Amino acid sequence: MSKGVHRFAVFVACATFFLIIAGANVTSHDAGLATSDWPLSNGQVFPKMVGNLFWEHGHRMVATAVGMLTIVLAFYLQFREPRTWVKRLGWAALGAVVAQGLLGGLTVKLNLPLIVSATHATLAQLFFLITVSLAVFTSKRWIESEPLEQMVEGPPVRALCVFSLAMILTQLVLGATLRHSATWDKDLPTPLLVAHICGAVVVTLVLSTTIAAVVLRFRPETYLTRPAAVAGFLLVVQLGLGLAAYMTRRTSPNDPQPLTPMVAVTVAHVACGALVFAATIVLTLRVFRIVRAKQAEYRLAHA
Amino acid sequence: MLSKNARLWLGVIMGISLLSLASSCTPKEPDDGGPGGPPEGKTYTAKNNEGTISGVVSYNGTAPENKKIDTSADSVCTSKSPDLKTEEWVVADGKIANAYVYIKDGTLADGSKIGDYGKWPNMPASATLDQNGCHYKPHVLGVVVNEPISITNSDPTQHNVHFTPKNNPDWNQGQANGAPALQHKLARAEVLVPVKCNQHPWMKAYIAVSKHPFFAITEKDGSYSLKGVPPGKYTVIAWHEGGANGTEQKMDVTVAASGAAKADFSFGGTAMVQPGSWPMLEAITFPTLHNH
Repeated sequence: MSKGVHRFAVFVACATFFLIIAGANVTSHDAGLATSDWPLSNGQVFPKMVGNLFWEHGHRMVATAVGMLTIVLAFYLQFREPRTWVKRLGWAALGAVVAQGLLGGLTVKLNLPLIVSATHATLAQLFFLITVSLAVFTSKRWIESEPLEQMVEGPPVRALCVFSLAMILTQLVLGATLRHSATWDKDLPTPLLVAHICGAVVVTLVLSTTIAAVVLRFRPETYLTRPAAVAGFLLVVQLGLGLAAYMTRRTSPNDPQPLTPMVAVTVAHVACGALVFAATIVLTLRVFRIVRAKQAEYRLAHA
Repeated sequence: MLSKNARLWLGVIMGISLLSLASSCTPKEPDDGGPGGPPEGKTYTAKNNEGTISGVVSYNGTAPENKKIDTSADSVCTSKSPDLKTEEWVVADGKIANAYVYIKDGTLADGSKIGDYGKWPNMPASATLDQNGCHYKPHVLGVVVNEPISITNSDPTQHNVHFTPKNNPDWNQGQANGAPALQHKLARAEVLVPVKCNQHPWMKAYIAVSKHPFFAITEKDGSYSLKGVPPGKYTVIAWHEGGANGTEQKMDVTVAASGAAKADFSFGGTAMVQPGSWPMLEAITFPTLHNH
């Protein structure tokens, strides 16, 4: 186990989060086609960053930096990480970031077709999932932690966590599709908006149940209750941001340009969604690490 | 299961394929007429008994104020247009400029439909859309199908011109200061094609594409005139960008041989507002703060 690898993995995960914010700014500012070029911007490596080109080219620069960091992380893991499956996950991260870059280029070249743009936004979250997972897997606590010794009763927490994660990912895909289906000066399509609102209700119910189950059953185990509490707090913030995003986005077609309140709130909504996802990833991985799958296993282990 | 080598090669091939796809995809070339080329239909020969439809487009009540645009994202725009405002409502003395008035359909005196004809006398040869002071001049432009549109950049900054039509191909092209004029054609009739600059998101223009030359953009005094109209009965539409997706007014007009028909329109509070030819989106009825 290398402390350096873990720290670097955390750094890459943080950089990926920053990249998600940069990407959300591109969508909210309607800057995706500020240049019709790719990979260059207006035929230049470093164009004058005026108008919306600041957001689009800025996003490309941050993405390039994250790509470089991912390359370093993948190789770092090959040399310092003993577990083969973690090494492979490093390669998976590299593959995901390369595919993500190509999708970004493809969507610019094709004038932002919804399917490609939404896939680009979804893969961003999946890449974030991988980087957050790598940060968890390389941590000292993960490596040293043992399955819980205590007997626990109640609903299957593992299944609840996986279900929460699946619902959040579905909601992120819906949100990405909704955001890319109409620019700031157009009304959001009602069916997608309905689906996203319904998704919020489902995620709230499922994640709240999961958090409650974890907190009530593993109260003294801060390794589990801490990410659960963080996920719960972020969920509440996210619901508030969702309402604010709806309010500002609903009036934005009447604005002369994308205004700061709408941009700030919608970007914050995307960012907080990614954080809810990250907290639930951490919770799920830790649950799988220390909570036994079946009561029978527990009994067998202590027979 | 695939062997390790096979999986490696599969990954490499997929990567190269994606890369090739990305690099080979270029924005669609200017449409030179599409599959049909020039508009199909009969050629109308002038009979020297054509008439005119003219009128004034007014606004009832006080027009909404145009909004100030924050151009600080590009200092060139700020210095060239320090007091830039939206151009949605250009109303002076109750008269609206930039309304697009056109014959939507109708029947000529000989019983033929206006849509039967693809060629008319005095079809406009070309049009120009200029980017000047980080806004488009003109704000509303009318062309016939396949009419060359020359797009110029008079600003010392980079723009990108993005046509976002529904019936024609999407078209996006960057244009640096001093770059030669871009040329583009729209092969299918469409009312109206929004044009925007993704670099300066406040920049908006509209281009109406018609199969015939019977259209006009209202002047500052709200007036317009459609000349050379064959005798017949027509549906005339006045379109204005105001409202969520544009609004239009409709009027049936009869043009006598060598006659001059009048068709005045009005928009605003007391005017009858009909849905535009853009699809009107359903009202969102989800919880809002003022509903609770």
